[in-house]
Amino acid sequence: MNLVALMVADSRFPGGGHVHSGGLEEAVARRLVTDEASLASFLIGRLRTAGALGAVFAAAATRGRYEELDAELDARTPSPAQRHASRVQGRGIARAARKAWPSAALTELLRVTPRPHHPVIVGVLVGEPFEAAQAVAYHSVTGPATGAIRLLGLDPFGVNAALARLATEIDAVAGMAAEHADTPPEDLPAPSAPGLDLLAEAHDRHHSEEVRLFVS
Amino acid sequence: MRARAHLVVALDPNGRTVVRDMRSMAPLRLVTRRRPDDEVALVHLVSAVTAPLGGDDLELRVTVEEGASLELRGVAATLALPGQHPGGSRALVDVELADGATLAYLPEPTVVTARACHDTVFRARMGEGARLRARDVIVLGRSNERSGTLTTTLDVRRAGPVIKQTSRLGTPEVDASPAGLAGRRVFGTELLCWDDDLPGAVSEDWWSLVPLARGGSLSTAVAHDAVTVERALDEARSRHPGSSGSLTRSRTRFRGAGHTESHGSGGGHHRAGGFAVGGKPVRSLDR
Repeated sequence: MNLVALMVADSRFPGGGHVHSGGLEEAVARRLVTDEASLASFLIGRLRTAGALGAVFAAAATRGRYEELDAELDARTPSPAQRHASRVQGRGIARAARKAWPSAALTELLRVTPRPHHPVIVGVLVGEPFEAAQAVAYHSVTGPATGAIRLLGLDPFGVNAALARLATEIDAVAGMAAEHADTPPEDLPAPSAPGLDLLAEAHDRHHSEEVRLFVS
Repeated sequence: MRARAHLVVALDPNGRTVVRDMRSMAPLRLVTRRRPDDEVALVHLVSAVTAPLGGDDLELRVTVEEGASLELRGVAATLALPGQHPGGSRALVDVELADGATLAYLPEPTVVTARACHDTVFRARMGEGARLRARDVIVLGRSNERSGTLTTTLDVRRAGPVIKQTSRLGTPEVDASPAGLAGRRVFGTELLCWDDDLPGAVSEDWWSLVPLARGGSLSTAVAHDAVTVERALDEARSRHPGSSGSLTRSRTRFRGAGHTESHGSGGGHHRAGGFAVGGKPVRSLDR
């Protein structure tokens, strides 16, 4: 696997991804996720919706067209809280990437979108559609999975096994995304995630009223 | 069954919207209901036979010409059914809104019956200062029925993308997941591209009204029954600044092509109107 993809998917990568639970914290607060089985249900739903959307845009970003991709991903992300979380993580990665992987493509991306969406900058850095999509699809479930260990005290080995069981699904999502790398931005797939959208807005509302561990 | 229907409405010299051209084709039957003294054209979409069935391919093209106002309503729930033919069924509503045109598209819920496989698309292209309200409510199965599958796509552009989302429903893993429908069987959305938007989101646990990145708002609701979803969408809409606006507008309010509205500066509201001129992409309003 591409070393850049490994690094951006690593939880120790200093991109600020560790403060985001991808809606898991709100799902736990509402007791929608309480154990390994309900976590697995959360993760498969997240992978096939938000994960697939991110993977598609990561693969497409390996082909340029940054301004169009930015607008099209905005249009596929109705929740302002989710758009914000994506851009905050994108900016976090940009900060690390400017030092680690300076390139003409990165300069161009940050010129047209100073606060890029997370999947788009990952696509630019990784540079290869399948591997970029795979990194983003994987990232869409690792944040919530490790969040569940911290929020629910779930067995880390059990959660790790739940992630491992998603391997085939993650590759299927990445494969679908890679097939769309050359699709015109406006025709890219747009899988919705109504539950995540509602959880993200509720998290945002509660985050301002009470102490939460995660930003999203 | 393959059906192609179309409807064109335009403004007459007295400021009333009239039907200029209309063609029904079974099962897509269009029925005009003229209300006295009303400037808005009201058209009902009546399903003439049971549809969509597997194998059906239905298209309705709607054009609302400059400054005209149309209300297009359903009369009964749509039942998506499996049929003899493989490959499922598809229905497309393709809308063209000229500058200053207004459309309220309010079909009744779509019920996805067992083994149905239906693909529905609502696509709209909006001119400057056009307004759109489009509701979509999907019910997974009749009571105690395991539903078939349905994909519903909302795809609206106005000098760039406003919203595009495809909801794939009837897959047990995603329907059950808190990321998908969280075990609810009814899902509703309502797009409001209706002048101003709120600067931030309004939400309860199972519904939200959110401002989109480049103008327009979307409300989303999930629940165990359609009545709750429709009430939630009504509640969300009542919070939107455009909720009190009637379908018609004063002639001065629509200022025609070439007028650039300023945005980001006034009143605490997003300016959602046609602030893009000449097809220039609209910039994100997110801070």
